[in-house]
Amino acid sequence: MSYVLGLKCKECGHRVPVAPVHVCEQCFGPYEVEYDYAAMKGKVTRASIEAGPKSLWRYRDLLPCEGEPVTGLHSGLTPLRKAKRLAAELGCSQLYIKDDSCNYPTYSYKERVVSVAITKAVEFGFDTVGCASTGNLANSTAAHAAAAGIRCFVMIPHDLEQGKVLGSLIFGPTMVRIRGTYDDVNRLCTEIADKYGWAIVNVNLRPYYTEGAKTYGFEIAEQLGWKLPQHTIVPTAGGTILPKIYKGYQELIKLGLVDDTPAKIYSAQAAGCNPVVTAIQKGSDIIEPQKPNTIAKSIAIGNPADGYYAAQVVKDSGGWGESATDQEIVDAIRLLGRTEGIWTEPAGGTTLAVAIKLIQSGRIPKDESIVVSITGNGLKTQEAVQNELPYPQVIDAKLSDFDKLLASSKSREPALASV
Amino acid sequence: MAQTYSRRCWLTFPTRSQVEQPIIWQMSRKYPDVKFDIRQASVQNEIGIMAVLFEADDQQELNDALDYLRSQGVTVEPIEKSVVEG
Repeated sequence: MSYVLGLKCKECGHRVPVAPVHVCEQCFGPYEVEYDYAAMKGKVTRASIEAGPKSLWRYRDLLPCEGEPVTGLHSGLTPLRKAKRLAAELGCSQLYIKDDSCNYPTYSYKERVVSVAITKAVEFGFDTVGCASTGNLANSTAAHAAAAGIRCFVMIPHDLEQGKVLGSLIFGPTMVRIRGTYDDVNRLCTEIADKYGWAIVNVNLRPYYTEGAKTYGFEIAEQLGWKLPQHTIVPTAGGTILPKIYKGYQELIKLGLVDDTPAKIYSAQAAGCNPVVTAIQKGSDIIEPQKPNTIAKSIAIGNPADGYYAAQVVKDSGGWGESATDQEIVDAIRLLGRTEGIWTEPAGGTTLAVAIKLIQSGRIPKDESIVVSITGNGLKTQEAVQNELPYPQVIDAKLSDFDKLLASSKSREPALASV
Repeated sequence: MAQTYSRRCWLTFPTRSQVEQPIIWQMSRKYPDVKFDIRQASVQNEIGIMAVLFEADDQQELNDALDYLRSQGVTVEPIEKSVVEG
């Protein structure tokens, strides 16, 4: 059964029944799914969740879908790893990596939001889904649409690199390269959603899409033994995942599944695109749009739809916001790789770089529980590190040459490892 | 019946200079057939933001009115904001 009551505007509280709408007709604020938590009490329990499937759908009572899921049956429930070697490097005692770089099938946290959005699209009777994306969202939407057998359109800027096009094209969507600036692509996508009545996952299905991000927070709490971490550092792009991790924590508290302990949330952005962090640090309620200029392209959204809510959650939870330069991002990607064997994309590098700054500045105490959110895989963004790594030497097939190489490389190892 | 064109936009007034000028009023004088309806507004010392519905029977006039706002330094974005994700 579904516990969904309907949609409620986050700004003015206006309520409407469940429908593929995302903007409040009264105040243009965003709609959010509202649930009947009283009805869940005693029915949605730790045991009922643990008895569910080993995927994000174990939390389906807290998701806005009525029937059976149509996709994402193997998505979610990614590892929460105790990062012992990274913790030793940073002097921390309880450092965890929530690792969506291995999320199935396209290796990013987007599997969570897209699984819910496409299931909802099918429930609404849409025959076509789409998205506007240059990377992870496009990959995920195309893959899940293929698995669900539904027509898919992916809108991209015309000059996007070929590598990023292939990562979606393989799943068989119709990709449309749009001539113009990002602003032109933005405008056209919203017009397409209106005119053709398609389900654009991050536009007219946004209230349902964003709910999928809660599963990231649910999993952290469950995997910590039904406890909230004291500090969660989250990358911020459109501002979707950060408020939803917080909402996930709050829902678990409301249902009595975890104790109501302080859980601070921190926003991580690249210095080349940090409108949310700027607002947090200035104490402003207004997110000032920026023109992105960073290697962390998957989180480079200059005017984030939910940026205001991300900043509010950071403030309400007692957290903070911090930025990282491109070099700090690359250094953090390498550090995570060599200490934990995880290759993350620049968004994950940003999150770790910001975590390091917050720990080293004393804002996050070293002896408290810390979760670093890794939301994407480095294999998709090899250009970010390809000029940063030493290229392997060539030797003749002689043991003596190898002995010489080993002797000389031993003296270089500490330098290579000092990122 | 003539078609009515509408746009739902966020207007950002990025500096004190724009905040302190009656730019919306100026637009309405220059383009009197473009109706506007303010649904939300937040104004601080150095920056302001508004959610506005614009309507006109002539699409070109609607576009020209929005271009006029841009020419005055106002950022005009769809209510969905940036939808292109990485």
